[in-house]
Amino acid sequence: MEKNVLIPTDFTIESLNVVKSVLNDRPYECRYNIILLHGVQMSDSITDLLFYSKAKMLESLSNRHFDEACGVIRNKYASGINSMRVDLFNGSSQAAFDGYLLGNRIDEIYVPGRYRLRTSNKKSVNVLPYIRKCGKPVISVDWNMEVVLPEKGSLAEIFYNEATA
Amino acid sequence: MRKSLMNTQTKIAVMLIVAFLAIIMLFSGWVYFAIPGFLHDYYYDVLEIRAVAAGKMELDKDQRGLDDLRSVFSEKLMHEQDYFFKIEKNKDFKNEADSLGIPLSFFETALNEGGARYQDKQLFYVAVVYPSKQGNYVIVSQAQDYFEESFVAYLKKTLVAAIIIAFCVSLFIAVYYSKYIFKPLREITEKVQQISSENLHLRLDSRNSNDEMDELIHTFNDMLNRIETAFETQNNFISNASHELRTPLTAIIGEADVALSKDRTPEEYKTSIKVMLEEAEKLDAKTNALLSLAQTGFNGKIQRFERLRIDQLIWDVKNTVEKLNPKCNLHIDTSLLPEDPMKLMIKGNEQLLHLALANIIANACKYSDNQKVNVSLGASDDHVVIVVKDKGIGIPADELKYIYDPFFRASNTKNYAGYGIGLPLTRNIIKMHQGKISVSSLQGGGTTVQLTIPAWRRIDE
Repeated sequence: MEKNVLIPTDFTIESLNVVKSVLNDRPYECRYNIILLHGVQMSDSITDLLFYSKAKMLESLSNRHFDEACGVIRNKYASGINSMRVDLFNGSSQAAFDGYLLGNRIDEIYVPGRYRLRTSNKKSVNVLPYIRKCGKPVISVDWNMEVVLPEKGSLAEIFYNEATA
Repeated sequence: MRKSLMNTQTKIAVMLIVAFLAIIMLFSGWVYFAIPGFLHDYYYDVLEIRAVAAGKMELDKDQRGLDDLRSVFSEKLMHEQDYFFKIEKNKDFKNEADSLGIPLSFFETALNEGGARYQDKQLFYVAVVYPSKQGNYVIVSQAQDYFEESFVAYLKKTLVAAIIIAFCVSLFIAVYYSKYIFKPLREITEKVQQISSENLHLRLDSRNSNDEMDELIHTFNDMLNRIETAFETQNNFISNASHELRTPLTAIIGEADVALSKDRTPEEYKTSIKVMLEEAEKLDAKTNALLSLAQTGFNGKIQRFERLRIDQLIWDVKNTVEKLNPKCNLHIDTSLLPEDPMKLMIKGNEQLLHLALANIIANACKYSDNQKVNVSLGASDDHVVIVVKDKGIGIPADELKYIYDPFFRASNTKNYAGYGIGLPLTRNIIKMHQGKISVSSLQGGGTTVQLTIPAWRRIDE
C-alpha cells in the first residue's frame, strides 16, 4: 500500500518530529511518499521571476543540518519511505492549494500540534490556513517541547526530540 | 614589497594607456584611410560625368543637354583638360598615351570595359567610351583634386592633434586610476607592517564599503584572530604542560627529601616509595597522553585505515568503558539506526577511533556522576553520526571555545580528576578521519557531543 503524505516544514530539525512520528506509527507494509512543504511568496518583480529557480530557492531556505537529518530519517525508515522530497508552494489562494493537493494526489496531511512553524525567511508564507480549509484528513502531532536541549539546531537534535503523538 | 606594488601600479597605468592609444589609433587610422578612398571615388565619378558632358558639348553639339549640364558644371575644375580620340579599327593609342604621359593599359581597359581610371600623383585621369553621332570616341578627362589634397592635409593635422590630446587625457586617467585603485592596498600594507608578534591585538579598520578591499581587510582580520588564538594556545600549552609535569615531580622530590632527612623504619620507607611510585605513574600517564596527542596531531604519519562498522565499534567501546568504570550507566540508542547496515560502514583506524570514542563516553560518565548517558547512532547518505549525550555538569558557555586547547579544564571541573588531554586528542583523531566534532552544552544542563564521520563508499575503494 502506498500513501502520499503532505507535511509542512520550516527547515528546522524540530519540525521533522512530525515525519518521525508518522513513520514510527505506520501500518505494516505501508510505504509513504512524503512531501515536506514550505510556502513561499512569489516575487512581484519581473526580473526576479525571470531568474527564479526552485532549486536555488530551496538551497537558500534549507541548511546542511536539515538535509543531513532528512538523510538520517530516510535511512532509518528505508522500508517505509518510497520517496521523500522538499517542495515549495508558490500559490496564494485556497484554490491553488487544493490544486496542488490534487496534482500530487495527497491522501493525508500531518501538521505539528503545539509547535509553531517558523517563517524565518522574509518570503515564507504560513500554509496552515490553507491546510485547515482543504477538506483532506488532517492529523496533528505533538511532542514534548518543554525540555531545553543543549544541542538545539544541530544535527544531534534529531535523536532526542521524542514525539509523543 | 613596496617596489613590486609600485610596479603593479605602473603596469596598470601603462596597460590602460596602451589600450586607450590602440583604440584611438585604430579609430583615426580607419578614418584617415576610409575618407580619402571615398573622396577618390566621388571625384572619379564627377570626372566621368564631366567627360560625358564634354563629349556631348564638343562632339554632339547637343544644345538641350548642354544647357542642363552647363548649369551643373558652370566652372572648370583645377587643371581640367578634355581630350577626344576617335576609335578606329586597328588603331592603338600608343602615340596618344605617350603624349599625355599615361600608360597604354589605361586606353586598353577603357576600350575593353567602356571606362578606365588612372591617377598620376595629383592628376586624375578618366577615360569614357562615348558613342557620339560622329562615331565612337574615347574621351579622356584630366584634372587635379585640390579639395581632396587640402582636406586630407587638414584631416591629418586634426587627427594628430586629437591623438596627442587623447594621449594626455588617457595618461592622466590611467595614472589617476591606478593610484586610486591601489590607495587602499597601500594603506593595508602600511597597517599590516605595523603588526608584529608584540601587538597581535591590532586590527585593520574596516571601510564599511562592502567591496573587495573590505573583504580583504576582513580576511586579514580573521587571519589575525586565528594567529592570535594560536599564539595564546601555544603559550598556554607550554606553561600548562610544564606545570602539569612538574606537579608529580615536585611530589616525588618532596617525598624523597622527607624520607632521606633521617633514618626511618622499613614501613615508612615503603609508604614513601609507594607515594613516589604513584606520582611517577601519574607522570608516565601524562607523558603517554602527550605523546599520543603529538602523534595524532602530526599529519605526516601514515595510519592504516580499514573498513569498519561503527555500531560494532560502539559496542566494543561500551565494554571497555564499563570495564574501566563499572558504575557507569550507558544506554545505546538505536532508534534511528538505518535499516541497511552497510550505511554504518566507515573507513578508519579502529584503535584510534576506539580511543576517541572511549574518551568521549568516559568523560560523559565522569562529568554526569554516572547518570544515564545516551549514545545514539544514525547515518545519512554521506555521514555516520554518533551523538553522546549526558545530563552532567555541562560546560560554561564562555569556556566552550577553549575546550580543544590541551590542558584546558573548565572552571566547574575542580572535583573531577583529569588533565585536559582527552578532548584535543579526540579532535585530532576525528580530524584525521575527515570528520567533525561539535560540542554543545548548557551549564548544569548536560553536554551533547556530536561526531560526524564520512561514510565509506564503495567508489572509494
